[in-house]
This record gives sequence, C-alpha cells and structure tokens, in this order.
Amino acid sequence: MAKLTPDELEKISKSNHEKSSNWIKVGMSTCGIAAGAGEIFDFLLEEVKKRNLQIEVKKCGCQGNCYAEPLVEVSVEGLPAVTYGKVNKEVATKIIEKHVIAKMLVNDYIYDSLT
Amino acid sequence: MTKKTVQAKINGILLRVEEGTTILDAAKKVQIKIPTLCKHPDLPSSAACGICIVKIKGASKMARACCTPVEEGMEIITHDPEIVEIRRTVIELILSNHPNDCLKCARNNDCELQRLTADFGIKEESFSQFLRELPIDQSTKAVDLDPKKCILCGRCVHVCQENQDVWALSFLERGIKTRISPAGDIQLADSPCVKCGQCAAHCPTGAFVEQDSTLPVWKALQDPSKYCVVQIAPAVRVSIGEAFGYTGKNFTKKLYALLRRLGFQAVFDTSFAADVTIMEEASEFEQRLLKGNRPLPLITSCCPSWVDFMEKFYTDMIDHFSSCKSPHEILGVLSKTYYAQKNKIDPANIFMTSIMPCTSKKYEITRNEEMFASGHQDIDAVLCTRELSRMIKQAGIDFESLPEEESDSILGEYAGAGVIFGATGGVMEAAIRTAHYLVTGKELKNVEFESVRGIKGIKETEIDISGKKIKIAVAHGLGNVEYILNKVRQAKDNNEEIPYHFIEVMACPGGCIGGGGQPYMVTDELRLKRAKAIYQDDSDKKIRCSHQNPYVKRLYKEFLGKPLGEVSEKFLHTHYKPRPLYKK
Amino acid sequence: MYEKTVLIKDTDLRREDKTRQAYTQFLDHLRQNDQHSRIQVVRVADVGLYDKGLVIKVLPDRITYANVQDRDLERIANSLCENKEAIKDLVYKPKVKQEKLALRNCGKIDPENINEYIACGGYLGLKRAIFELGAEKVIEEVKTGAIRGRGGAGYPTWLKWNFACKVSSEQKFVICNADEGDPGAYMDRSILEGDPHSVLEGLIVAAFAVGASRAYFYVRAEYPLAVERIEKAIKAAYDYGLLGKNILGSSFCLDAEIRLGAGAFVCGEETALISSIEGRRGTPHPRPPYPSIKGLWGKPTVINNVETLANIPQLISKGGKWFAQIGTETSKGTKVFAVTGKVKNSGLVEIAMGATLREIVVDLCGGTLSGGPIKAIQTGGPSGGVIPQELLDTPVDYENLQKLGSIMGSGGMIVMDEDDCMVDIPKFYLGFCVDESCGKCAPCRIGGFQMLNYLKKITEGRGELNDLIHLKRISYAMQKASLCGLGQTASNPVLSTLKYFENEYIEHIVNKRCPAGKCNHLITYKVIEDKCKRCGLCSTNCPVNAISGDKEKGYSIIQEKCIKCGRCFEVCKFKAIYKK
Repeated sequence: MAKLTPDELEKISKSNHEKSSNWIKVGMSTCGIAAGAGEIFDFLLEEVKKRNLQIEVKKCGCQGNCYAEPLVEVSVEGLPAVTYGKVNKEVATKIIEKHVIAKMLVNDYIYDSLT
Repeated sequence: MTKKTVQAKINGILLRVEEGTTILDAAKKVQIKIPTLCKHPDLPSSAACGICIVKIKGASKMARACCTPVEEGMEIITHDPEIVEIRRTVIELILSNHPNDCLKCARNNDCELQRLTADFGIKEESFSQFLRELPIDQSTKAVDLDPKKCILCGRCVHVCQENQDVWALSFLERGIKTRISPAGDIQLADSPCVKCGQCAAHCPTGAFVEQDSTLPVWKALQDPSKYCVVQIAPAVRVSIGEAFGYTGKNFTKKLYALLRRLGFQAVFDTSFAADVTIMEEASEFEQRLLKGNRPLPLITSCCPSWVDFMEKFYTDMIDHFSSCKSPHEILGVLSKTYYAQKNKIDPANIFMTSIMPCTSKKYEITRNEEMFASGHQDIDAVLCTRELSRMIKQAGIDFESLPEEESDSILGEYAGAGVIFGATGGVMEAAIRTAHYLVTGKELKNVEFESVRGIKGIKETEIDISGKKIKIAVAHGLGNVEYILNKVRQAKDNNEEIPYHFIEVMACPGGCIGGGGQPYMVTDELRLKRAKAIYQDDSDKKIRCSHQNPYVKRLYKEFLGKPLGEVSEKFLHTHYKPRPLYKK
Repeated sequence: MYEKTVLIKDTDLRREDKTRQAYTQFLDHLRQNDQHSRIQVVRVADVGLYDKGLVIKVLPDRITYANVQDRDLERIANSLCENKEAIKDLVYKPKVKQEKLALRNCGKIDPENINEYIACGGYLGLKRAIFELGAEKVIEEVKTGAIRGRGGAGYPTWLKWNFACKVSSEQKFVICNADEGDPGAYMDRSILEGDPHSVLEGLIVAAFAVGASRAYFYVRAEYPLAVERIEKAIKAAYDYGLLGKNILGSSFCLDAEIRLGAGAFVCGEETALISSIEGRRGTPHPRPPYPSIKGLWGKPTVINNVETLANIPQLISKGGKWFAQIGTETSKGTKVFAVTGKVKNSGLVEIAMGATLREIVVDLCGGTLSGGPIKAIQTGGPSGGVIPQELLDTPVDYENLQKLGSIMGSGGMIVMDEDDCMVDIPKFYLGFCVDESCGKCAPCRIGGFQMLNYLKKITEGRGELNDLIHLKRISYAMQKASLCGLGQTASNPVLSTLKYFENEYIEHIVNKRCPAGKCNHLITYKVIEDKCKRCGLCSTNCPVNAISGDKEKGYSIIQEKCIKCGRCFEVCKFKAIYKK
C-alpha cells in the first residue's frame, strides 16, 4: 500500500465497499464472539468453500442488537438484505441451504429493526 | 522585573497579589488563616486532605485553596457555615481512621491533626473507627514508622522521592488499603533509606517519629556509676529556642547551663570536633592537591546520610570521600581516650550523649566497628533537638531564664569555623580557611566566603589559593547530588579535566540546621534565620580558623601528633564499602 | 426473483403468538391470487416494534403495518397483488428512530479493512480539514456543531481544542480516552471494535486542529480485541500515509501509539490518565492547571472520549451546521446508549438527543424482560442516579438528567424492575467506587468506605434511622471536598435513590424488610405446608442442611441455619417455598 494523495483518497471513497451484492457479514465484536459468532463465522466459511458458493463471508462490528447475537447479515442478489439473529449451526446451515442456495428467506430468525 | 498582579476579593476584602499566588497564601496577606492539614509550607501541595476548600463565586465546585491560583476578579469565601461543616466532616472521617491514643503518642501537644481537631472543637466520634492493622517499623534505629497513624498526606513520599531522591518510600495499593511503605513492602532498614529523617521532620502526625533515646539518657543520668558527658551540635543552639517561641536566636551558653543542670558532668561542643575534622580534612585536601596520592575531587563525609547515600547509589565515588569521621564521632572517641586519660576516668563508665539536629546519627553510632575505636561504643546515645525540648520540659527547668555558662573548654572551645558546620557551605568555608593556610603558609585576609553561603540547592564557585583556581561545589538536599556527581562521572569517563576539586554535600536542605531532628514546620525562611544566627556566632568569635584554635593545637601536641598521623588514623578515620539498595 | 418480501411478526405480548397463523393466512391469500412466487412471506423473530399487535413489513418499499387484524390481512395481500399504494389507515409511522452517527459503519464494514472505511466516506473529513479549512476553521466548525464531550462531563469540545490551540508550545498531545470503566457501559468498546478508523480519523483531526505532533490511545487492558483492531487501524493508516510524515502530502505530521491501562477505573479521569501515561501512580491532580494548558509532561494536551471522536469526521465533512440540526437546544447530535439490565432487547441504541427514556427503553428496546412495569432506570454508571418510572417521559439531554439528580454519563442505562432493590443498587455502585478509589484524598477514600459500611448495615438488617443522616452528611462532604469526579459523584446513586425511594430505605431500617426481596439477610424462606408434596428435594439440595423433616411429617426450614442462598426456592417444582 502506497501513501495516498488526496485524489487517490477521493477515488477509493467513490468505490463500493460491498464489491458484489452477494455477501454474508458476521458480527465479530466481543458481544458476538462471546455468544459464539467465532464458530459460526468459521462454519459459514467452511460451508461456502465446501459447496463452492460464490459468496463472500466477512466480519463486521457490532450493529447494536447485542441481545440477538450471533448476528449474521445476508445479501443475495434478488433478495432483500436481512439480518438473522441467535444464529447457531443449525440456523447457519439453513441460511446456506435455503437463503443462499435456494434463494428463499429463512423463517423465524430474522431481526429487522426500524432504521 | 515586576510580576503581573491580579485583584480579587476574599471574604469581601479587596486585595492585590502577584499572579500565580495561591488562595491560601493570598488569604494570609489579609490575616485570614484557611485551615490545612496535608499542606506543608516547605513542600508543594498534594491536594490530598480536602480541608482547605473554599467557595468561589460562579463556580459550581469548591476549590482547594492550597493549589488554586488567584485569578483576576475572583470572589472567594473562606469561611461560612456550609464550608465549616464540610471541613468538620472531613476531619471526623480522617479521625475515624486514626488511633485515639493521643495521650501516649510522641506527638502529644505537637501534632497537626490534634491541633486541627481541637480548633474545630470536635468532641464526638460520629463514625465508627477502623484502623490499619499494621506493625510499627523500627528497623532503621533512627526513625520509626507507625502505619496506623498515617493520614496519607503524602509529604514523606514527596520528600523522599522528589527532594531527597532516595525513593525509600512509596504508596502501596489503593483506595482504603493505601499505605506508605518502601516499595516491595519491606522494612525500611532493607530499603534504600538513608535515615535522613526528612520524613519525620515533615510528618503532621505520629506516623514518622524519631526513635526515642531519651529513656536511656535519663537512665544513665540517674546511674551514679556513670560519668555522663554531652556534646551539642552547631545547629541545635540556633533552633532549640523555637520550642519557647524564639526563632533564629543563639542559645549556646544557656544550653551549657541547662545540660549541667540536667546532670551531665562535662559539657562539650561538637564545634570543637568540627575544628579537628577540618585539621584532618584540610590536610587530606592539601595532600591530594599537591601530592596527588589520591584522586580529586575530595568529598566531605561528615553527614552520615550522605555517606549512606554514597555507599548505595555512588559506590564509584568511594575513593573520593574524605576518610574522616563525622565531628560528633570524633568527639566521642576523644572523650573516651584523650579526656578520660587526662582526667583519670575509666572510659567504660563514660556515657557520651550527642545532641544533634539529626536522626541519621542515631543509626551512625553503630554503623561499623570503627565507631568503637576507643575500645567502647564511642557515642552511647543520640538525642535530636525535638527530644531535648521534651527533656527540658520534663526536667522542670525554666530554660529562658537560665544564666549563661561556659563549656568544658578542653573539648568545648571552638573557632568560628567549627560552628558554621551547621549551615550548608559551612564545612567548605571552614575547610578553605585552613586549607589556604596549609597550602600557602599564609593566613587569609578575608575568611568569609559568601559564594558558598545561602540556600541555593547547588552552589558552584572558584577560590584562588596562591594562584591556583580551586573549583568548588556545595550541594544540600540529596536531590541536588545527581547534577554534581554526573559532571564528575562524565569527566572521569571521558578523561577530561575534573569539574571540581572539593565537594561538600549535606543530605538535609539547608544543611544541618534543616535536619531531620529539628523543630517542625521548617521553611526556607526559617532555614535562613537559623543559618544567619550561626554565621553571627562565627563573626563574633575572635578566632575564626580551626588551625588557630589553641585547644585544637593542644590536642594534637598532647595526643594526636599530627593530622593524618598514626593516632589520627586509628581514632579519627573510617572506611566505606558499597551497600545494596535493597537487602531482600 | 421475488419482487416483494413480506415480514410477519405478532408483537402482542399478552395473547398467544399469532405469527404462524397470520403467516399461513397471508400465504393462502397470495396463493389464491397466484402471487406466491412473486411475493415471498417470511415469519421473523423481531420487527423492531413492540406491543403493537400483528406487524407486517413490506420490503423493499419499507412499509410497516401495525395492529393488523385478521380481516386486514386480506386487504394488505390484495393491495400487494394489485400493486396498489400503501393502506393508509394501517400504516404505522414510528415516532422514534435510531440515528446512527457514531455507529454509522458498525455492522456494515469490516473493521480491519481501511478501504471499506474509505469507501463509506472515511478520511474525507480529514481531507477537508487539512486542505479546505485549516486548524482555526476546523475549530469553528466544531463550535458550530456544538458537540459536547461524550465521556460524561459534557464539556464543549471546541472549547477544549481552542484552549490547547491558543497555547504556544513546541509540543502538544492529543489522547483518545478509551478507558471506559462504567459497569454496564460498552459503547466505546463497540465503536473501537466495529469502526476503529472513525475514532482514529477524529483523533487525527483533533491533532491537526490543536497542533499536536503525537497522539495516544489510552485503552483499558481489559479490551484486547479493541486493542488489536486499533493496532491494525494505526498500521493501515501509516501505510496509507494518513499517519506519520506529510499526511496526505501536506506538511502535517502525526505519530500515534497505544498505551494500555492497568485495571484502574480512576485512570479514566483526565489528570490520572496523564499520570498513568507518564509512568507515575494513577492518581488525579488538582486543576488548574487544566490539561489543555499543561497536561502530559507539562505540555498542552487534549483528551477526548471515543464517541466524541467518532462523531468528528462526519461533523467536519458534512459541516457543523448539519450536526447542529440534530438533537436539542443545549445538547446537539446523537448519543449511544448501552441499554442493559432487566430489558428485553439489551444492546446499543444510538438516538438523537431529546428522545425520552420511555422511547429508548420501551419503544426501541421492548420494555422489561418480565413484561412488568419499570421501577427505575439507572443512568450514568457509578456517577449517576436513578430515574423513577413516573419520570420516564423526560427527554434525554445533559441538563434534563442533571436536574433530575442523575447524569448522562458515558451512556449506560440499566433497566430495573420490582425485583431490584433500591438500597442494594447504590450499595453495588458504592462498592465499585470504594474498590476503584485511588486513595489519595481523605473525603473519597474514607468517606466512601464509611458510606458503604452504612449501606451494608442497612441491607443486613442492622440499620438505624440515624444512618440516613450520616449518609447524607458524608455524601455532601464527598461531593464538595473530593479531588476528582470519582469521589465527587460516588454518592450520586445513594442520594438519588434516597430522593425517589426513601420508603425502601425506611422499610429496610424500621421493618427489617426488603420490598424487592433482594437483600439476603432480610429474606425469610419458609415451606408452604399445603403446597408441599414432601418430596424432600429442597432438603437434599440445601448446602447447609437447614431443612429438616421427612415424608410423613413434612419439611421445615431451620431459620437459624438458613444462609438465604435461595437454592430450595429454585429447586422446588411445586412452588412450595415461600420467599419474603
């Protein structure tokens, strides 16, 4: 990484931080990790690799709904981006199989706040 | 250059003070005494106790008067029912964590906490008592630490760390468990402590007190088999009066009378021994300067705390130290040899008491076997000025009205040079007066050297001895040692010319007159007053130089032979060795 | 793919959950109109609304219907099938919404990827500060925005920066205070873990504004993940030339490093923090001199809280006027609150100043866990007080909370219900302050300890009415005579609970009774004979063998032996243990 000039900074700022519309974000701050997000993150990564899915698994910070950790936000093209909460391995598997592969939202685990 | 001033109101009274003046000091100018506890006039504020709080108009919080500077237009209230009630509560809280045994405490009647409590008329214990259950540390044989009585004002830690640079004391733990102790929670004797007693001299309560030697002295005085002799240090004579309301007054001759009344059979003066010290030390200097048999600079060694400090922190300077003992030890050994022989007294029966401004000398008297050079313990007990004040009251003597008497001149008659040992720069000045004579064979026309006098922490100057420039450094307060000795170390490391030929160090700020055993509440103003009285004693004397003292001459003729001679070496000199900073 | 998505959740707490039923009904309607492959229906766990009946949300239009009755389901389904407009009489417009300024990127970006931060507008604030504004105009912008310190004191940030800027000194420092110590507060931790660059950018801007050459992050050692993420952020910034020499090619140079705390709450106080960085004992020192004039190593030093700094980049890039539009007259911007305790949805809430406590705790966080009434909300950590239920409609800002006897503090909000004892809560906080007191000044060191003793006396059934007088007296002395904020505010929880819940204190003292059933010494456990099935489970579980009896005679608790651990109460399947 070379030192940025102001123009180069502008250029990066105009890029999209979400490189594609297919991504999975796992909340990996202390609240999430304490609830088990670390294992869920690893699990999702493994599943994506195993099934050769074209979707990036990333970590992100705490978005505030700490009571519902582990939180996993999923965006798949053609579906609205939603956040799943209290995700365990079972729910994570459903996310992969139902949401990512079958393109259907998983019931009973979505946490949708007002903003 | 005039400093900027600010105008403010205190309790409705208008006043103008220099910018930066604290509210506490400003209030004094209009005769208002804001109560304080942790603040000592000699030290910067630690802002710990919270008693000096005052109200400032427009501010929501109360401010501490000891550390808040007066600002333009400030309106301050120092006393009103609300403020007084808060102060009372804080005092009561402090008392709830302090033992109730004033009657048995060494500071009874001379305790800052006691005075404050009495001033506030506190008669009830509103809160339940709880004490720090920790044992008393008496390991140094000079100063005792009683953690139960400590109110955590922090004065001792500041003095030991910042002023004296010894770092034997620090705060341990936090909150209600906070206490003061050497780092590592060890005994003081196992720590870097040099026994200078500055902690005791600044302590507001009975937490740090000098180890009591009055009992053994009373016992000896009442023992008919003991021949009791006593010596007084230069610094004691100008400060003993403070117990009776006199500052800067020289009570030498009354002290001689007093000591005889107490029952001492011979009254000597440490100033005489100081003259002897000069004979030895100036000769040492002459030898090192002219013959180069041992390295320069020569460093004075009459202060036992300084010696201890050097043995711990500057072991590379051991070779530079004068091997001469401190004056009171010299007088001790002479009393049990020269004096005893001359008066046909069995030295085993002689009980020698030193009255010193010092706590360190209590430890010095058993420092090593050389303190037993006479064949017996050369000094049996050391009393500090504060202990003597208490003994005077106990003995029921009306000190102020005593007639003036003379000392036993054989070991009591002194030259002006001997008495100025009590002030910083005094040893150096005394040494120059004699060194000049020894080196050039000529007497000085002017024996006074202003350049080494005064309370500046480090004094550097040059003296001309027959064309040769002699570079001199005088330091007082161990915190000022680093600068001087670093210069010496640097010169030695780089093979450069030595920055000084002769160095005097006194551990206590101001020299001995600011000693750890001196009356409480010392300030620079008081130090200057005490020093002034000492220099006055010197200028009043007909004989100003140690080598001109006829009794000193007689001593050498009859007993010692010559300075640095065999007899002198046996009785008057000592050796040094490196000591560890921490023994555990 | 699906054109629309419908989320369904029944938020009515009092009746049986209708979510599944509504879901099936709605899906049926869609199937009947053959729209089920165009519109997907999902049962969700949470819709961000509480106690608003059946809620239906339509995405991506972001329409929310609340209090939907059975008959409305068909209407909504039809309006979607026919692509009609939203049904106005069912639409719910929430009064209160979170507004994420400090938390803008948390949960959205990878905190360890600087490019993602920049792609969200990161470091454009710094660019504007250096190339468009200059130091003085930056301070002007902050003044216009009127942002106040988020660490608790609420001091105007621009003033602090201005003082330091105006002093001439060959070296100045800026410090980010990340020693968040209030129990229950973790806003700063989340910001540092979720978006460390926002804080770093704010710190660099602060350094630029005052003319500092060195920046420090003072992070408590108990936040290892935050430390790790800040370290990565600093390194990435250095790599991109956003730290170090000639930042973004300008003449501005700044070095940054992390210093760890060592387990002392008091080191969150500015002068104690400075002492700690200097390697000395972490105790406060009298002010004046203020750190802005004479701080770290005697040089002008600006210390700002994490949340304050996280707000700065946006304030600079969007302008102070934009920031000042949010919030109330005296308290601009938003505040992050950590809502915890007996609340359904504990977590972080960021909302514009001026929202009421009820809006935050009930509307956004779902109210109490049990569904019962809120007894009080504790704000401001150990320096704060309690706000009782009747005052929950107070708009939250610095001044309002102070008027009620509490403070905003760093943003901790602890929800309490009937099972929380208003004498036990201040005892906990006071115990915390006594533990964390540095011990330097007598009022806090001894006063706090004596106050704690009185509270222990009261909660153990040995209290006297005089104790309340002593408590008030010592509180007052501590407030006025303590050296730092810890001692000055340690008595707030006590004074606040005495103000609003004095009856609970009296109950403890006079009747030796704890109304909330919390204080162990004042609880009595007894066997309710007619409910007792004589199974003996309580007796076998009692750790001190205080329950005697057998199958025939039944069981009883020997009061003198009972240590009030509550084990019998927990294990009894028949609710036959009486606890009062």
